[in-house]
Amino acid sequence: MKSLYLVLKYLAILLWSSFVALPFLWALTTSFKTSNGVTGGATYIPWLQYEPSLEGWKVLVRTGGQGINIVAPFISSAIVTLSASLISMVLGTLAAYGLSRFSYRLGFVKNSDITFFFIAQRIMPPIVLAIPFFLMLQFLGLLDTIPGLILVYVALLLPIATWVMVDFFNNVPPQIDEMALIDGCNPIGAFVRVILPNSLPGIMVGGLFCVMFGWNDFFFAFTLTFTKTQLLPVAVVALNSSVTPWWSLSASALVSVAPLVIIAFVVERFLSSGNMAGAIR
Amino acid sequence: MALILEHIDIRVDDIAFLDDVSLTFKRGGLYTVLGRTLAGKTTLLRAIAGLQQPQKGTLTLNGKDYLHLPVWKRRVAMVYQQFINYPHLTVLANVAFPLRRAGVPAEEAKRRAMEVLDMVGLADFETRRPSALSGGQQQRVALARALVKRAEILLLDEPLVNLDYKLREQLREEFQNIFEGQDDAIVVYTTTEPAEAIQLGHELIIMDKGAVIQKGKPLAVFNAPATIRCAKIINDPPINIFDGAIENGAIQLQGSVLLPIPPHLAHLPQGTYCFGLRTSDLSLGGVIGSKVELSEISGSQTILHLSADIGAFILFEDGVSQHAIGSTVQVNLDSDRIYAFSPRGDLIAAPAITEN
Amino acid sequence: MAKIELSDIAHTYEPDSDEPTYALKSLNLVWKDGGTYALLGPSGCGKTTMLNIVSGLIHPSQGKILFDGVDFTHFPTAKRNIAQVFQFPVIYTLMSVEENLAFPLVCRHMPQPERTRRVHEVAQLLNLTDKLKRPARKLAADEKQLISLGRGLVRNDVSALLLDEPLTVIDPQLKFEIRRKLKRINELYGLTMIYVTHDQNEAMTFADTIIVMSDGELIQSGTPQELYNRPETTYVGYFIGSPAMNFIECVPADDRLQTAGGSIPIPSNVSIPAGVGNLKIGIRPRNVKFAESKDAMAIKGQVNMVQEFGNCRVVTVRIQEEIIRMKLNPGTAIPSGEVSLDLPEDKVCIYANDVLIHQDR
Repeated sequence: MKSLYLVLKYLAILLWSSFVALPFLWALTTSFKTSNGVTGGATYIPWLQYEPSLEGWKVLVRTGGQGINIVAPFISSAIVTLSASLISMVLGTLAAYGLSRFSYRLGFVKNSDITFFFIAQRIMPPIVLAIPFFLMLQFLGLLDTIPGLILVYVALLLPIATWVMVDFFNNVPPQIDEMALIDGCNPIGAFVRVILPNSLPGIMVGGLFCVMFGWNDFFFAFTLTFTKTQLLPVAVVALNSSVTPWWSLSASALVSVAPLVIIAFVVERFLSSGNMAGAIR
Repeated sequence: MALILEHIDIRVDDIAFLDDVSLTFKRGGLYTVLGRTLAGKTTLLRAIAGLQQPQKGTLTLNGKDYLHLPVWKRRVAMVYQQFINYPHLTVLANVAFPLRRAGVPAEEAKRRAMEVLDMVGLADFETRRPSALSGGQQQRVALARALVKRAEILLLDEPLVNLDYKLREQLREEFQNIFEGQDDAIVVYTTTEPAEAIQLGHELIIMDKGAVIQKGKPLAVFNAPATIRCAKIINDPPINIFDGAIENGAIQLQGSVLLPIPPHLAHLPQGTYCFGLRTSDLSLGGVIGSKVELSEISGSQTILHLSADIGAFILFEDGVSQHAIGSTVQVNLDSDRIYAFSPRGDLIAAPAITEN
Repeated sequence: MAKIELSDIAHTYEPDSDEPTYALKSLNLVWKDGGTYALLGPSGCGKTTMLNIVSGLIHPSQGKILFDGVDFTHFPTAKRNIAQVFQFPVIYTLMSVEENLAFPLVCRHMPQPERTRRVHEVAQLLNLTDKLKRPARKLAADEKQLISLGRGLVRNDVSALLLDEPLTVIDPQLKFEIRRKLKRINELYGLTMIYVTHDQNEAMTFADTIIVMSDGELIQSGTPQELYNRPETTYVGYFIGSPAMNFIECVPADDRLQTAGGSIPIPSNVSIPAGVGNLKIGIRPRNVKFAESKDAMAIKGQVNMVQEFGNCRVVTVRIQEEIIRMKLNPGTAIPSGEVSLDLPEDKVCIYANDVLIHQDR
């Protein structure tokens, strides 16, 4: 009975892993092909079934003419995502601290209502915000610019940052704040020296979420940029045309996904390494 | 140097957490605050520390206004009920934290921290994190951090209540030794246990429902509680109270039980009184028939819960014996140890204290 | 109503490690039907683990547990007819007191009139009758704990009541009241009751039999008197009684036991085996008295500290490197300077290597 359960368990894990991993494997093998390799029918295993080539990859960094420059959009995405995440985390952490430690009341509106109001922003379908953002950026003259995109992304990522951090701060007993005050810190010092170090796991997780949502966003990158600025998701999709270079497309897809995989891996290692063991009582 | 509270009021939603509290704490004094839960003891400490602002009243230290001084500028140290330490710092860093905040150089801060850790018995633990320590050890770290500051006011809010019974006994004794050395500070220690309050304090303050109902030297308060409420709080188990009267030259209790008037009550006029007697001042072998409601054994004594015409009461019997529930025993009241309270609850006369 | 047996029970929380630490080392226990038992020991001694094994929340790594002779080791909690009261009151916050008490009966499909009768019966026992209609979350901590207790009592199929440090959140003054109620429940319903605590006062007043545990092992099991008067090991002597039992190192010298400050005669029916090391004299603080006569050989020391507790006073006497505590009535005269101590022979226990030397029959 137990071994049957074990077999079923691993079968389920195998199936699911395949479902998740196979598209990546397919993209990986495709990216090493050339136009010749595609015509001969479906092939999967390099060296056995087809001759691998780095052509699809080299094209990505070549500029002008035959080149599909993916480096510039990559850098733009990185700048926008990281800046917006940083700003959102800073503002969100401060807001979350206020919501966790102090009681606000305006009529019937209290802390939990305000927190919910923040989260509720993400319920809205992005299309609802597309036109207002477009008009606002146009008014500010920031359409198709990196600062404009950063501004919009902060609006989108701030609720996530606040939401994650409020939860974390609620798990740090307020007596620790008080102890810091008694030990001679003013409220800001207490926040910086005691609460923040204790909330490192939360900051990592919040930061990860922000980076994830920011990096992967296609919709706003698409509607709010034209020619001057181009973000990575848009650049990859733009490769689609009458003659789609499948191998470069696969390669660029992998390039888009790689940074997040690496960051998530690093954060997960850090969280479970026990560095945080002391912080979470 | 004195910390003076005058007419402090803290009310939240119509509940008086502190009700017109006026107290004076002198330098070098060790004050214990005794009361049941929600009596206002924690609120008192928080008001002194500055974590809670009173709506009314003044708080001065050495004549200077203390009320409007922010928490981090007051030179107080506090030990909480729940073991509060900085989780992200090692034990040594925890204890050195207040010194570093005050600008003490790292080397000296470390030295002083090690000194205090040695005093509380944690000399080898300096590199560990608080989460790796047992409850008693965590509380010692908290205590060390409070002591290292050499603060003017040291506040302890029921610090032993979350610890094992035996550990509590041990730490109580250590506290006594540690506090002896704190001549320059005002130490305020709250507790719900009368024995602890009497043992540790030089001055004892009883609080109930936010108000101070008695204060004085511990044994003085114990021997002469100001009201029935004080008597019940300072005795564990609570003092027995019997309704009765003094009439025709004798003490009359309910059920026509008569007792001779002892010398210390001889001067009292006739009238109704509430008579109080400690559990240890009743004994078996008298004339008052009582029914056993419950019999418990505690070490070398038997605790009998009895009911009779005079009322329901508790008696301590030396030695261990079995009494069936519902059986009758004869009880003797030691009238020399009777307290007389007015029907309203104020102390009128207390037994003489036999002290050699 | 059940007789509970633990047969060769041991438990570790790390079954897969090479050298697992056992939270409970192999032990055997029998709990008689209707008896009151206390599991007494410091934090981490395994008492909560044992309780959870009895209630079914943990499956023991080895051993069996039997209810009235039937092996219940692998039965889930629901089938064991156990009621458990935890450290913190567990109440259904959205229900009234009455609904809380009735809940277990509703789950068992008990018909309405019977249900109401039982709820009222238990409410009366716990003095909750006038609070039945109130929302449960509005009650004080001790009343909430009574509700937790009451929920276990309304069921008519409960064989044992397990209490895990139930008086932790209760005021000291109210603990008395609740202990009295627990005793009454035991009298009325005849339930087997097992009470876990680290407070020896609670254990002594509540239980007929106390089981002292330390580090996963059973140290001694007996009545409160036995544990108080004749602790099997120095650990039990230390753990039971407040203040703890005094232990003074000694060596045999002719027919006396020699300590750093004097000597006492060897108690008459105790024979010290030859060549045994690490002898200690054990005596409770309540039994040490100031010596009346000037016996040149009596144990002498200096009064170090006097602690007033109101209803007693504890005097610490220093004898060279060791100390003896005395528990005296308030107002007892304390001689100044060097004091002579009287250790009555019938109250002295002798320990060799921390184990009691039993008296010869």
